[in-house]
Amino acid sequence: MNSERDTFRHTLDEASLTAASAAPDRQKESPFILAITRNGHMSEHVMDYAVNVAHRLGYGILAVHVDTLPFFRDRGKRSKLFAAAMVESAAQFNEKAARMGVTVEHLGEFGKIGSVVNRLCRSKKRIEFIVIDKGIRLEEAARQSPVPVFPVISTKTGHFNKTIFHNPQKKGAFAMSTITKKRHLKNCCLFGALTAGLYTAVFANQDVVMTYFTKGGMFALLPVATVFAVSYFHGNFTSFFWSALGIEASKKSSTQRVAPEPRVTDAVIAPRPDTRPRIQLNAEA
Amino acid sequence: MHGPISEVIQFIDLNVYTITFLFLVGFIGGLVSGFIGSGGAFVLTPGMMSLGVPGTVAVASNMCHKFPKALVGAIKRYKYGQVDIKLGLIMGLFAEIGVQVGIMLQKYILDKWGEAGSNLYVSVVFVLVLVIVGSFVMRDAIKMKNATGEVEGGTSLAKRLQKIELWPMVTLKTANLRISMWFLVPVALATGMLAATIAVGGFIGVPGLMYIIGATSIVASATELVIAFVMGLGGTLIWAYYGMVDIRLVMIILAGSLFGVQLGAIGTTYVKEYMIKYVMATIMLIVAVSRFFALPKYLNQLQLISWNDTVVGLMTKTSFAIMCLALLVGASIILSSLFKARRLEKMATLNA
Repeated sequence: MNSERDTFRHTLDEASLTAASAAPDRQKESPFILAITRNGHMSEHVMDYAVNVAHRLGYGILAVHVDTLPFFRDRGKRSKLFAAAMVESAAQFNEKAARMGVTVEHLGEFGKIGSVVNRLCRSKKRIEFIVIDKGIRLEEAARQSPVPVFPVISTKTGHFNKTIFHNPQKKGAFAMSTITKKRHLKNCCLFGALTAGLYTAVFANQDVVMTYFTKGGMFALLPVATVFAVSYFHGNFTSFFWSALGIEASKKSSTQRVAPEPRVTDAVIAPRPDTRPRIQLNAEA
Repeated sequence: MHGPISEVIQFIDLNVYTITFLFLVGFIGGLVSGFIGSGGAFVLTPGMMSLGVPGTVAVASNMCHKFPKALVGAIKRYKYGQVDIKLGLIMGLFAEIGVQVGIMLQKYILDKWGEAGSNLYVSVVFVLVLVIVGSFVMRDAIKMKNATGEVEGGTSLAKRLQKIELWPMVTLKTANLRISMWFLVPVALATGMLAATIAVGGFIGVPGLMYIIGATSIVASATELVIAFVMGLGGTLIWAYYGMVDIRLVMIILAGSLFGVQLGAIGTTYVKEYMIKYVMATIMLIVAVSRFFALPKYLNQLQLISWNDTVVGLMTKTSFAIMCLALLVGASIILSSLFKARRLEKMATLNA
């Protein structure tokens, strides 16, 4: 497995070398857009969007391909294909970027999207915002990101016409919150109907229910099972109900804040003991 | 409760008034439970009895509504990372033993001094525990509010107990502490005993977790929900075995209380830590006042005092009204601080 990882790293190094000619001087720390994908080929919409915005703002691009299944059990076949696809994808990206005069750096990473995002944002590079590709859930990236995250949505015709915006701090009339609200509403209706069904079933047959449920003995399991069902259906219903109304937990506690980087203090270097031989003079006058 | 029930139990007919009352009390009780980990139950039992539900059925149905509510609340708060499941399960198990001990004690008192004596015992325990623990928690909440830093590092007692290495030691990850089992057990037993006596174990459980074990108020109140779930499930199985649970009442109360418990759990993510203590102490102290008003009735029955019946009747009614007030005050503090914090957060993001 290690050797496969090495080959992957190796191909990635080649990919980043092809882009290295255009890579900016690290010392300057120019701002970056992080374009991240978990697919072998980053979708063109994401590339186009990143290149356009980077061109307008004068930013650089950090393109990251994340292999989320590095230990997939197929004797490294997937990893190899992934690496190969990534080289192609990187070349395509470079071509697009070169046309607009934008610098691109490529990186191959392993692991979970969230932790990769977190790690990259913590490293010295100035990442201003993140563009995520298809296949990455917004929450997955946004939860661990200290900067805004944008998913790029493409239509069937192939042109992206909408870039929706998600800032973990903000919730309002933006497209994303409307979408989740709709989903909450749908779930709320679904579980509401199920709860209503359960309640109707019990109250419509009150007499039968009360006879059996109060028999005692093994019949004790009936009321207990019923309340478990109620807590599942009604619990979900009430949860989605408040979410659909927009009453949700504070973002402050659900979004992990990035801990401030520990201050680097130069270690105080103790003066080395002087061990050189010295001439000692006994000046006896 | 540990014997065959021979008499035929009367289950009440439901009407609009009963349903609305139970739903509303359920909602408010749920809101408080979701926020401070327990509560609400103390109003439901007398409330149901005032509707004509027999005492045992009221207690059984109350118990049966408690554990699904606690379950839903615990799951919700687990999602916010506030629940220490291991702590909750250990405590719940021993609290269950505490409940049995509490019931035995009750039985002993019932045999010795009769029903009025038992009621008096319950009321005295109520007043004593609530006044002592409640004022302690209140003092702490005010101290925390006035302190500039919001660091909650546990009391010196908790710190000292955590240092004692007595086998078996338990490591609690979410609560972020390591303590000997020997200190968990008494708190759990006391919680169970109180639950058996006044139906709200959390009034000992949560302060115990905070001041003796050393958990933060958020973790303590969330973990109490797990304890309440374990205790409630055990209790319900026993009550249901004797056929005492009125599933209709339970479902109506649950209909309201699950709305409440979700909202209460959401509330904890907005407020500062001292708010949980503050709400808890406020409710405890008001309930203590209410139980104080209930004392003359039992003293009368025991012929320790001989007050006029109308006066005593009025005081009993006042007692129940104050109890409802306690819940209402708690609920309104929770709701107002929740919406205030939400508004502030929204404004902050708009300005950012």
